[in-house]
Amino acid sequence: MPGLLDRQRTVAGPGFNRWLVPPAALAIHLCIGQAYAFSVFKLPLTKVLGITGSLPTDWTQKELAWVFTLAIVFLGLSAAIFGKWLERVGPRKSGVVAALCWGTGFLVSALGVSLHNIWLLYLGYGVIGGCGLGLGYITPVSTLIKWFPDRRGLATGMAIMGFGGGAMIASPLSQALMDHFTSGSSVGLIPTFIVMGALYAVAMLAGAFGFRVPPDGWKPAGWTAPASSAALVTHGQVHVNTAVKTPQFYLVWAVLFLNVTAGIGILEQAAPMIQEMFDGKVAAAAAAGFVGLLSLFNMGGRFFWASLSDRIGRKATYAIFFTLGPVLYFLIPVTGRMGNVPLFVGAAALVITMYGGSFATVPAYLADLFGSQFVGAIHGRLLTAWSAAGVAGPVLVNYIRQARIDAGVPKAEAYETTMHLMAGLLLVGLVCNLMVRPVADRYFMSEEELARVRASIRGAAAH
Amino acid sequence: MTPNPGSDPKPGNWVAVGLAWAAVGIPLAWGVFQTGVKAAVLFR
Repeated sequence: MPGLLDRQRTVAGPGFNRWLVPPAALAIHLCIGQAYAFSVFKLPLTKVLGITGSLPTDWTQKELAWVFTLAIVFLGLSAAIFGKWLERVGPRKSGVVAALCWGTGFLVSALGVSLHNIWLLYLGYGVIGGCGLGLGYITPVSTLIKWFPDRRGLATGMAIMGFGGGAMIASPLSQALMDHFTSGSSVGLIPTFIVMGALYAVAMLAGAFGFRVPPDGWKPAGWTAPASSAALVTHGQVHVNTAVKTPQFYLVWAVLFLNVTAGIGILEQAAPMIQEMFDGKVAAAAAAGFVGLLSLFNMGGRFFWASLSDRIGRKATYAIFFTLGPVLYFLIPVTGRMGNVPLFVGAAALVITMYGGSFATVPAYLADLFGSQFVGAIHGRLLTAWSAAGVAGPVLVNYIRQARIDAGVPKAEAYETTMHLMAGLLLVGLVCNLMVRPVADRYFMSEEELARVRASIRGAAAH
Repeated sequence: MTPNPGSDPKPGNWVAVGLAWAAVGIPLAWGVFQTGVKAAVLFR
């Protein structure tokens, strides 16, 4: 008798509606998307001891910056390490572990705040929570791709859109909770972390138990796989251990890394950039509104571009990112010189749709190239590109901007070099994307190998 | 022949689909609204 969490228990029966799977995926992604709203805790975390202001013994912004960085690094690492395990055990067990990690991360963080121990915060939100992020992020991907072979981009776009949308829920929710729990002796972080950890664990568990996997060989009624391989869509399956030996894996890794690094160039600096480029024209509240607007476009872009990629192909979608992107990055400093705020906002918003779209389209790109059998594990390893960009992007942007300011360039113009560098990165991405060709036949698994792997998955699930 | 579970949803399943989407859609819509209100300041 298979256990409650075993893959075998999640195989869908006749009559199961595949449209139940995207909401289950969204439930998980909306929770882990909180990561993008971590900044809402930054200021209260610097006043844990001082309450109304920071004491010298309070945590500094510099110390706290490591919490988010660690979370993103562990997101990539856990996705890379546990992707293969996920393919074996199925989305329910993986989703449950992700829920426990994410919830526990908040609880350990609450303990860290209570004891005022920064290492517990690093361990809680950064390491344990980061593992929850990575596992939660990849959990629904291969299941969705298997349910929607006819609309891979739309399916993964719906889930990954949730990661962008999660911050929109988390930011006002966290603020409301902190306002509610704040008192003369506390900034309200401990109960806020406990409530959020519990809420997220419950919602993610609900999502995990909502997953069903299709039986091997299932396909939508009336749908036949496209016969042509012109759009890089393979009919074979590449093992995850083999996929990482192909040039295509590293080219797509570079494509994601470069696009995300460039997007971070805008996201990281959004609020100060709009205020400094339009000095006196944009107040702090409007700058915060600009950041909110970017979040909306980040989320919308995930759905729009991933869905569009079903029609025009993944390679063409990334080609748009890498040709339109540089034009926009050159345009942004020009809008600053013109003093044209609407044009600046429009250009930045469009860039951010492509940043989000890049995340949402990449699982379908991988499934097209390597098949859907191991796409979750392959996607997991590819997410190290996100971790790398999460570290490299802000360092690059901040370093260059500071170097320009130190050289005597006015703040409003200091962004120009950064934007031009980002445009250059995107052009390198264009070359990488153009170099992606169909995976060579020698990398595909034979029918016997595939049958053996599927039997071993069924065997593992039964035990 | 593999059964084709996704292609033949039971009529009741669509109710479950609606409820599942509402469960994730309502909080998301609230978040989008809150963000939209915040973003509207930019256009004032």
